[in-house]
Amino acid sequence: MLSLKERSDKLIQATDLDALSCRNSINLKSYLIPNDDYIIDLINSYHLYLQFCTGYSSISSSRTLKSIFKSNKLPIINRGSYLRTRAIDQVIEKFINVYNQNCQIISLGSGSDTRAFKFLTKYPNILYHEIDFPESVKIKKLAILKNVKLRNIIDYQQEESPNISSKEDFQNFPSNLATNNYNLHGIDLRTLNSSSKISNFNSNLPTLIISECVLCYLSPEDYVKNITFWEHLNNELTCFLIYEPMSLNDRFGETMTRNLLDRGLNLKLFNKYPNLETRKDFLRNNCQLTNLKLTSLSNIGGYDDVHKQETSWIDIKEMKRVNSLEFIDEIEEIRLLLKHYCICYGEFKKFSEIKSFHGINDWDWDIIDDN
Amino acid sequence: MDLDNDVPMEDVEEQETHTSPTSISSSIKPSNSSKTITSQQQDSATTSAKSSSQLDSSSIGLLDSWIEKLSKCEPLNESDVKKLCDMAIEVLQFEENVQPVQVPVTICGDVHGQFHDLMELFKIGGPCPDTNYLFMGDYVDRGYYSVETVSYLVCMKVRFPNRITILRGNHESRQITQVYGFYDECLRKYGSATVWKLFTDLFDYFPITALVDNKIFCLHGGLSPMIETIDQVRELNRIQEVPHEGPMCDLLWSDPDDRGGWGISPRGAGFTFGQDISEQFNHTNDLSLIARAHQLVMEGFSWSHQESVVTIFSAPNYCYRCGNQAAIMEVDEQHNRQFLQYDPSVRPGEPTVTRKTPDYFL
Repeated sequence: MLSLKERSDKLIQATDLDALSCRNSINLKSYLIPNDDYIIDLINSYHLYLQFCTGYSSISSSRTLKSIFKSNKLPIINRGSYLRTRAIDQVIEKFINVYNQNCQIISLGSGSDTRAFKFLTKYPNILYHEIDFPESVKIKKLAILKNVKLRNIIDYQQEESPNISSKEDFQNFPSNLATNNYNLHGIDLRTLNSSSKISNFNSNLPTLIISECVLCYLSPEDYVKNITFWEHLNNELTCFLIYEPMSLNDRFGETMTRNLLDRGLNLKLFNKYPNLETRKDFLRNNCQLTNLKLTSLSNIGGYDDVHKQETSWIDIKEMKRVNSLEFIDEIEEIRLLLKHYCICYGEFKKFSEIKSFHGINDWDWDIIDDN
Repeated sequence: MDLDNDVPMEDVEEQETHTSPTSISSSIKPSNSSKTITSQQQDSATTSAKSSSQLDSSSIGLLDSWIEKLSKCEPLNESDVKKLCDMAIEVLQFEENVQPVQVPVTICGDVHGQFHDLMELFKIGGPCPDTNYLFMGDYVDRGYYSVETVSYLVCMKVRFPNRITILRGNHESRQITQVYGFYDECLRKYGSATVWKLFTDLFDYFPITALVDNKIFCLHGGLSPMIETIDQVRELNRIQEVPHEGPMCDLLWSDPDDRGGWGISPRGAGFTFGQDISEQFNHTNDLSLIARAHQLVMEGFSWSHQESVVTIFSAPNYCYRCGNQAAIMEVDEQHNRQFLQYDPSVRPGEPTVTRKTPDYFL
């Protein structure tokens, strides 16, 4: 019998399957260029090892995976997944280029995200860290170890082929993995505190920390603790890129609160900081972040102004390509949906001589707060 | 914004007896035209009489048993769907591209497979055939009960052909239903695409517009730059799959817009049309109003173009995610209009936990 906390953690970890199935869907529909060849490795790893995670059996894990991957995603879901992936990728890529690969990327609650492999292939000199619940990290670690292609990307030399065939094996299997440019850390973010150690963290590199629908599951106090943890750890520029939903205090938001609670998911900031303005205040006042930029996903997709049909985030040629992939019938619905997600950028400078990151100023943000 | 919008079932049933449903947003307008019987309406009466006279008592019995089954949200079996669609073609093929409809009538927008909310609609608006209904398309896709929803409405159409009019929406099409759920649902519920094929073949016969008392032009989407007069709609050959472009496509896809004139639709089909276009169309055709559906509107109805166009949307909490209210519009003998808004039905026998939560970007 699972404890309440175990059950709640299981449900939060399962949101990674939502994200993975959405990325898989846009990959199959050719939204991503180039195609993401790593998603399938992560799906396979889930098929092998989800059964060993807390709260799953071999039957329940295969049922879960079947139901999440079998149904086709609707075009509006594909479009939203594409916009979110694309926007975050763009910011990361700009960051890497501005600092000429001499930088560090930290992905919080990275789950089965395959970005690390994509960016490390293209930019092998960056330093990449991924942090998630130990079980999620093990799924990824096993995907890497079983796969020569992924091993090569992170330059993993050890000849190690673990044989995991029971819950016990899985429990005892260490979650961490470290190479010169890549690190996996099995850490529950709620336990981070001033004495926590992040192995191979380089405190002298400009660092971009990504939270893609992760910190939103924490209490506001834990959220702030997580932000300040990194602020104190680093001596160079510390940047945050945060993607999460917000309720806007409207009926869509109320319905979303109810629907997610039905799944046992409680988004702690969703209603407390319901819109871009209140998020900005929270990030500035509670998290001590500056040079803030915030935008809704609907702005990124060019849906805020129906007449514009274009967006500074994505060039017209790419937008045309994407529009030709699938018919978006439901314009009102997609606008409504995307308005409820934000992408926020903010930074922290421990020392006054550190320079801000300006690489993303050309894109249209709903809120810019330079103070 | 109404906060007390969760109306328990008992209240609704109580209210039924005095026909004054939940939250009423009154937008009652004085009639500006007295009712005149036109030759078209007489024609329609004749046509309808003809089709209803074809219903023998065994057909009525069969239809009533199907309706009873469907009203419990149980799908018909495949052979019954075949019979039903054959019967429906017999009725619908004689209807016009611009199907004449008399007042009083209750005009409804998108339903999208939300069967329980359709039952709620009939509670709010009064049961058919006591109340005349005009549905403006989009019965299938998105919701979980497209099969039951469209089967029910088609049964009602065949059973009470003079009492209910069902127009075609852009989702009543082979292409769209393969993306948005109806096709998958048919496969899931019947194990083959036969029922999907039967219904999508039937959709070709659905009328594409209706004209209420010669004054309210009803259709799913909106106007077309290739259509200036209602007579031009009458000349179209509608018995076909919804084309990708052209007047029939536009009627099912277009949207009103704040900008004047014609515009490119962000949907990729149809056009946007401005107030000048609507006013000109209403003037040319001596209309008081264009009633259409097609767009999600949070209050269930929405006026545009200084009340020359109204959008009606009848799927509350669309896709179990949007949180919108639904509405229907009653038009009485004096052409007074009244909107009835409603919220999702409470679903007995369908606990929310067994329902798949709609997708979010988590």
